[in-house]
Amino acid sequence: MVVVGADIDLDRCQGHGLCGMECPEVFDVDDGGRAHVLVDPIPPELSGAAVLAQQSCPEQAITLHEAREGEA
Amino acid sequence: MTGDVNMAKTSTAGTPNSLDVSGTELWSVSPRERDEVFGRLRREAPVSWQRPPDGGLLPATQGYWAIVRHADIRHVSRHPELFCSGQGISFDDVPAELAEMSAAFIVMDAPQHTRMRGLVNHAFTPRRVRTIQQQIEAQAAAIVADAVRLDAIEVVRDISMRLPLWTISEMLGVPPERRDDLYDAANIMVGTADEEFVAEGEDPLVVLFGGVTALHQLAHELQAARKAEPGDDLMSALVAAEVDGDALTENEIAAFLVLLAVAGNDTTRNTISHSIKAFSDNPEQWDLLRSDPDAYLGTAVEEMIRWDSPVRTFRRTATQDTELNGTLIREGERVVLFYASANRDDEVFTDPWSFDITRRPNEHVGFGGGGPHFCLGALIARTQLRAIFSEFIKHVERFDAGEIDYVTGNLINNIRRLPCRLQVRQAV
Repeated sequence: MVVVGADIDLDRCQGHGLCGMECPEVFDVDDGGRAHVLVDPIPPELSGAAVLAQQSCPEQAITLHEAREGEA
Repeated sequence: MTGDVNMAKTSTAGTPNSLDVSGTELWSVSPRERDEVFGRLRREAPVSWQRPPDGGLLPATQGYWAIVRHADIRHVSRHPELFCSGQGISFDDVPAELAEMSAAFIVMDAPQHTRMRGLVNHAFTPRRVRTIQQQIEAQAAAIVADAVRLDAIEVVRDISMRLPLWTISEMLGVPPERRDDLYDAANIMVGTADEEFVAEGEDPLVVLFGGVTALHQLAHELQAARKAEPGDDLMSALVAAEVDGDALTENEIAAFLVLLAVAGNDTTRNTISHSIKAFSDNPEQWDLLRSDPDAYLGTAVEEMIRWDSPVRTFRRTATQDTELNGTLIREGERVVLFYASANRDDEVFTDPWSFDITRRPNEHVGFGGGGPHFCLGALIARTQLRAIFSEFIKHVERFDAGEIDYVTGNLINNIRRLPCRLQVRQAV
């Protein structure tokens, strides 16, 4: 699958920062201790890393958006 | 996990499984020998009823469900509404006064847990950890520089012990003249399971209580100092932390220091020691890591944590009748999570007894199975492991480790001593 976007459920996010370790170009944790998404849309070359970031989240707080049919 | 709970098909509470994991002898053998029992449980009885555990500071009164599979540990960890922490998280029973003085958020449930952890989370964000990364790297360099000057080292004393408590002291801003007191008290907290640590005729409970009391005293002192004169350290952040007008009390901060002294101490210590032994036993993995540290150190650190599984057990209590992998668990019954067993589950890890620094994905449960109690210090632990092994990569060609001397205990996978020779890279 090709991932183009990500959302973070801030009620779930605990600021572990594992997403940012897997994919620092897309995810970061701010000083308030919550993750946020740095780029929109996610460049295609980071799609795989974004999936790893989502899988690494202990809180399952990351939702990924896939490209629709026909989109890159 | 669906289906009628009345259809639960395996053993029920009250009939202990013939594969017993409550005896103390199980915790004095090597991890590999121990996993022969857990491997059979994973295959034959993944959720098994067990008699109350032997040993411990208090006589145990309650039996429990042993949870040994990766998927089940994740399920329990990620459903705190079904399996709570507020009724205790240790395999053994803990005296009430001691529980009170160490009642940090690790033994809380939402909403108190959410509030407390929210208040301390700020100090553990990647950005904050990056600010202490250089100090950790400098300390790791000094430790390894000392070690490589020696012909033979004792790994725990000369290396592993020296990084974690130092890191905590730095983070908290403990003044140099009080650090030995922190080290002593913290080591009491994690040492009372070791029969060599507690002197003949001493009551481990009294020794433990002394350690907790010393940590509380230090915490109160530090708080007073930082309230008077704030600095750029964790203790200053804790006394100033406020979320929605809510702040931490002095005793809450003291209990947090007790938690730090345990959770941030012999976890990383033992992972360093076990990893040195693993690289000694698997020299081709050390060569591979040294051949391209940028490529392999990240996955190597995860494999070190999986391999060691520093926390052996935590407990949860069922908040309602629920079904787990086909077994009915009733409200109020205890479940014990055996993390090392999950980290050897061959449904998740190919060839789980192979130490493979390229393993990826590596969804180990060394920091817990996810959910609200996932290890707060995971990033700091990873930073420490990266720092110390980066230094070894520069200087050490071969670890030639002897046999591990284990401490018997069901909480931490504790190494008492590990002799080792370092083949040091000669300067050219």
